[in-house]
Formats: sequence, structure tokens, C-alpha cells
Amino acid sequence: MTTGTPVPRLAVHGVSHAYGLHTVLENIELTLDAGRTLALVGPSGCGKTTLLHLCAGLLTLQGGHLHNDFGRPAMMFQQPRLLPWKTAGENIALGLKAMGIPARERRQRAERAGMAVELDAGALAQFPHQLSGGMQSRVALARALVLEPDLLLLDEPFSALDIGLKAQLHQWLLQEQARRGLAMLMITHDLMEAVRLADTVLVMDSGPGRIAHRLDLPRPALQRDDAWVHRSTAHLLHSPGVRRCFGLPPLATGPHPSPDAGDAGMAQVITLSPVQYKRSLAC
Amino acid sequence: MVLLWRWVSGIPAYLWSGWGAVASLCLLLAVWEAVSITLGPLILPDPGATFGALWQLLAGGVAARELLLTGQRAMTGLLLAMVLGSSAGLLAGLSMTAAMMARPLVTVLLGTPPIAWLVLAMLWFGANDGTPVFTAFIACFPVIFVGALQGTRTLDHHLKDMAAMFRLPWHMRLTDLYGPHVLSYLFPAWINALGTAWKVAVMAELLASADGVGAALAIARSQLDMPVTLAWVGAVVLTLLLVEYLLLEPLKREVERWREVQA
Ligand SMILES: Nc1ncnc2c1ncn2[C@@H]1O[C@H](COP(=O)(O)OP(=O)(O)OP(=O)(O)O)[C@@H](O)[C@H]1O
Ligand SMILES: [Mg+2]
Repeated sequence: MTTGTPVPRLAVHGVSHAYGLHTVLENIELTLDAGRTLALVGPSGCGKTTLLHLCAGLLTLQGGHLHNDFGRPAMMFQQPRLLPWKTAGENIALGLKAMGIPARERRQRAERAGMAVELDAGALAQFPHQLSGGMQSRVALARALVLEPDLLLLDEPFSALDIGLKAQLHQWLLQEQARRGLAMLMITHDLMEAVRLADTVLVMDSGPGRIAHRLDLPRPALQRDDAWVHRSTAHLLHSPGVRRCFGLPPLATGPHPSPDAGDAGMAQVITLSPVQYKRSLAC
Repeated sequence: MVLLWRWVSGIPAYLWSGWGAVASLCLLLAVWEAVSITLGPLILPDPGATFGALWQLLAGGVAARELLLTGQRAMTGLLLAMVLGSSAGLLAGLSMTAAMMARPLVTVLLGTPPIAWLVLAMLWFGANDGTPVFTAFIACFPVIFVGALQGTRTLDHHLKDMAAMFRLPWHMRLTDLYGPHVLSYLFPAWINALGTAWKVAVMAELLASADGVGAALAIARSQLDMPVTLAWVGAVVLTLLLVEYLLLEPLKREVERWREVQA
């Protein structure tokens, strides 16, 4: 280990969670360093949102350890959760107001954040119920981004957006990340999105929720082209374990897409038992 | 200030939109006239005579004096109910047990007719101001209490999580989260209670006071003076309509702009 200013890190060790008698998460392990992106995918109801809320400190930890030394976390919830009596602009500026930033600066920064997610001044002056679903979710995203967080927790941030907007926001987020070393933990149902953005994709299995597979993607996110993303997604989807997680039928044995002709030592989909996972973290 | 300006500047457009209401009121007048012609003025005086009597009441300053007096009593009762009902409702809403215990009590209060309270009030307070004030208060209290209770109990825990995540300090939670939410339940309850207070105060005066609109009504009735009786009824209704449509309705629109559903 090199000495120096330690990079902030989010670390989750052996975390379990139950709602009443219903165990939702079991023995979860993950780490996320500044400047990295972790994507969490898995079947609906497997406990992804619960895990994210635990990381955010919104749920009390029932078992295991959670260590988080990011100072300015921000979160985008699965539902927009906007205040209906405030305009979109005021909703975006909510966190800034909580920090005691004067109204003028708040407005300017909210406008800039709105612009980044393609919301114009007209949209910012409207109340949430006057906006479309996708616009509401962009307001929620802007509300998190405007705080310039060092840790961004995203729960299906782009699921309501068209592919053009999605691609644009992906690029914008990656550039933000490169600029100021932002760490992202994102939940998504879009494997392609996970493969495009993340350094590590964690596949969760349900009943009870645990991390079953892991895919490390060494190529820097900004250098990934469409062809690479398609190949890597196909590679992930060819793993029998991953297919089982999502309840997909097994593939008839055909030619396995060679994962990455360009990259030497392309990632393998690693299937994890809890013990193996700890080891894989250690190296 | 902004609120005041928007209220003032909104009035012309708002009045213009009232033509439909005016048309239906004209229709009512026509029917009234027709009925009074068939039944004779002893049973139902025609609108002309009624408005003549009303005009005399207004011109002589009698109407203003009595309306003000009744208004004062109704408002005192209403204000008491607003202060006590809102705060009691909020406190009860904060605790699950208190909310559950309050439910049946409120149902009893809501179910008791104001006339029953009036009889009790007459025994307790006699023929002074206390009777209409108390009756108005007790009629309004449960309505406002329920509004406040619902406002506190229905706050979405999702929004509370959101507030925690964005680190809203406690005063911002009050002004930006709990306040507007609770107010959106309280405000309609207050408006509702205003109408109740006005009507109940008139009723209480009718039976238990020597002055006020209700007492004036009682006197006109005992003299079998139909036009004046109707004129007083008209004055009561007109006052309520004026307050409702010139003051409260625009205010309500402004306060609940965020809820307005696009037609
Ligand atoms: N507040 C709660 N009380 C009780 N059970 C809950 C609660 N929240 C979630 N659960 C249960 O926990 C499980 C996981 O829920 P969670 O919201 O974490 O799923 P998810 O992986 O985010 O699903 P999705 O992809 O559909 O959003 C579900 O079975 C759900 O029924
Ligand atoms: Mg979820």
C-alpha cells in the first residue's frame, strides 16, 4: 500500500437485511473507490434498492459492516420523489438550499444542472405534475448532480428515457467522472448500459438477494465503442449462471462470442460463493 | 407581497369567468318572480320588494351593524377553532395512539347536531355573546381537527427519506416539507369551517341573542314581515358568497397552484 491521502471508499462487508421475517439480502460484499463505477443488475425484487438504501444510510444496518468515507453523497431514488408544491427548478435546488447557498446562486446552478439533463427554463418553471415521467426523472437526476457529489447512488436513473437522451447523459456522466473522480453505484435493468458505464458489473440473484456473479471490465469507459459494448454484453449473457439469475432458458450450445478480441486477458464472468468473493476482493 | 399582487391582478379575469354563475342567478330570480306572482306576496314577496327592503337595511346602516356583530361572533368562534383544532390535530397526528383514540371522539363531535350544542350553550352562557361564539367554535372544531390530523398522518415516508438524504435542516423540513403538506389539508378544512361558523352563528343568534343578524331575523319573523325576513336571509347569503368568491376562492387557487389540474 502506498501512503498518501487515502482515496475515499465505500465498503460493504457481510451485510444482511430482513424486513420482518422476510430475508431480503444475505452476506453482501462490495467495495467502491473514488472515480470508479459499480453497476448492480439482477431480477426485479432481489433487493437492489434495499442495498442502495443501506449504502445511503437510510435503513439501519441489521448485520455486517458498512464503511463509507465519502463526504458528499447524493442519491437518485427509483421514483422521482419530487416535492409537488415546488417547481422543477426549486426541486433541483433543494439540496443547495439545505446547504445555505443564497437564492441567486441556487437558481444559476439549478439552471446549469437542468441544462445538463436537457431541461430548459420553461420546464424548470413548471410543477412536477405538469412534467412527463421522463422529465420528472431528469429533475430528480439534476437534483442529485447539482450538489457536485463525490458519491452518486443511482436507482434506475435512465429507465424512463429515450435512447438518444440516454446516450447523451451517459457521455455527460462519464465526463463528469473523469473531471472530478466521482464514484458511482448504479442500479439498472439494462445490461448494455451496465457494460457501457461500469468498471465492475455485479449480478445479483434473488431469494434471498446475494451477489452471484461479477464481471470486471478493464477498458476505460470513455474508450468503449458500440461494438465492444455489444460483444461484452453478449458475453455476459452467455454465462449460464447469469442466465439462471434472470430466469432465462439455457442456451443451445453454439459458438460462444469471443468476448474481446482486442483486449488481452478479457474479463471472465466470475461466479462467486461468499468465500471466493472475499478472496477475489483481497487480490 | 407577490401573493397579494397576484390576487389583485387575478380578479378581473376571475370576474369575467363568473358570467355563467350570473346567468344562472338571473334564472333563479325569474323563477322566484314567477312563483311569487302565483302564490301572492304574503307567502313569497317578489324579488323587487325583497331587494327594496334589503336596500333600506343597507342604506340605514342597520345591515352593516348587525352583519358586523354576527361576523365578529362567527370569526371569534372560527379563530378559536382554527387555533385549537389545528394544533390539537397536529399533535394527535404525531402519535399513532392519540390518532386512534381521537377518531371515535371526533366522530361523536361531528355527528352531534349544532342545535344540540346550542341548547347546552344557552344553559351555560345565557343570552350573551358566549352562546353564538361557543356554538360556532364547537361546530368548526372537529372539521379542522380532522383536516390537521389527516395532514400529519398522510405524509409520505418516501419524502422523509428524501429529506434525510438531501440533509434538510429541521427548519427547512418544516417550511418546505411538513408545512405545505399539512396546509394542503388544513386550508380546505378552514374554508369549510368558515361557512359553518357563519351559518351556525346566525342560528345561535336567532334563538339566543338580542342582537345580530339572527336576532333581526327573529324579530322580522315575529312581525310577519316577509320582505324584511327575506332581505336578511339575502344579506346572510350574499355576505358568504362575497367572502367565498372574492377572497377565498382566488386565495385558494394561489395557495394550491401546484395542484391545479390542467383542464
Ligand atoms: N419497506 C419494505 N417493507 C417490507 N418489504 C419490503 C420493503 N421494501 C422492499 N421490500 C421487499 O424486499 C424485496 C426487495 O425489494 P427491493 O425494492 O430492494 O427490490 P429491487 O431489487 O430494487 O427490485 P426492482 O428491480 O423491481 O426495483 C422485495 O421482495 C420487497 O417485497
Ligand atoms: Mg428497486
